[in-house]
Amino acid sequence: MNKKNFDGLDKIISWRRLEDKDREEVMQNLVSHENWKSCFSEVAPGLLLFARQWVHSAADAEDIVQEVFIKFWRRNHKIENRALLYAAVRSIALDFIRRDSRRARREASAVGEIDEFIEPQFEFEDDTQRALAEAINFLPCEQREVLVMKIWNELTFAEIAGALGISQNTAASRYRYALAALRNALQPK
Amino acid sequence: MNDFSEIENELRRLRPAQPSPILFDRIEEAMAEPRRASAAADARSGWWRFTEQPYNWGLGLAAAAALVLFAAITMERQQNRGKEIAQISPEAQTAPLSNRGEASTSSDKLVPAGATRLVYNTRNEGLQFARGSGQPLRRFRYQTHETWQWRNPTTGASLRVSYPSEEVVLIPVSGQ
Repeated sequence: MNKKNFDGLDKIISWRRLEDKDREEVMQNLVSHENWKSCFSEVAPGLLLFARQWVHSAADAEDIVQEVFIKFWRRNHKIENRALLYAAVRSIALDFIRRDSRRARREASAVGEIDEFIEPQFEFEDDTQRALAEAINFLPCEQREVLVMKIWNELTFAEIAGALGISQNTAASRYRYALAALRNALQPK
Repeated sequence: MNDFSEIENELRRLRPAQPSPILFDRIEEAMAEPRRASAAADARSGWWRFTEQPYNWGLGLAAAAALVLFAAITMERQQNRGKEIAQISPEAQTAPLSNRGEASTSSDKLVPAGATRLVYNTRNEGLQFARGSGQPLRRFRYQTHETWQWRNPTTGASLRVSYPSEEVVLIPVSGQ
């Protein structure tokens, strides 16, 4: 390897060292501030609800949200970039399912008949709300994720489209289908 | 005109479950460890970092050379020992076989010397219903690190085995 190549390598190495040092400084600055708590309190319930669509337990959803939030914060992404935030939750949740599928199958075969999780995703006030929450669980996944992002996270259709990689029209139509299905489910028969 | 305004309002009245207070502690703890976290974040690019730094190649080669040297020395010793055994074999034949067996088992015997089980994480994975049963079960997952130790009282040699383990426990929840 000639001298020119070594110079190039040195530049890369020093640049990476500088990057690591800067990142540590940035992170130390962030740690010294308490503002992440207020920021997290605001977004956490909606993010957890969003993550719960793919995992059965609140503990798993919290693991996913924690991972996303810390990555997001460390990389200095703006929390206002909600399309990216929800895309990250979705991506990590799907990774989580892939990673855990073998273990989940093994445990399901070991414990056999036990598979129903009843941990509530919402805080109910009355029976109507309970029925509504149950009806949400029966929605197709692609409708439910749009509904969760729109109602409890207040994302625009443009942001939803960005997070899910679909068109705004598709996002809006999935939302309308979800609402129609829920309205039908709640109508007295 | 939005035909769905009524159902939208109903949905907005539903409040998502709040995160557990421990989640805040966990995040705070993770944020307080910038060095470890940055190392974890770079774990994916670890191989790239290894290859881009020439001195790491040197370390790797040195380690490989040391391994080859060690293997060569071990093989040479084994060969020498084999020669010695071959030379003294006529004398060894005079020793009774039963005694030799006992001597080897007593000196090779390892007896259990201890076991530890460190639970480093407990997760409450929520409630479940067993099919056909009205009683809910709470599911806990324990992540542990178990260590077993054996010791040879004659030679003082010890053997320790450590491994991570995971245990899922279902505990019936009473209705009261």
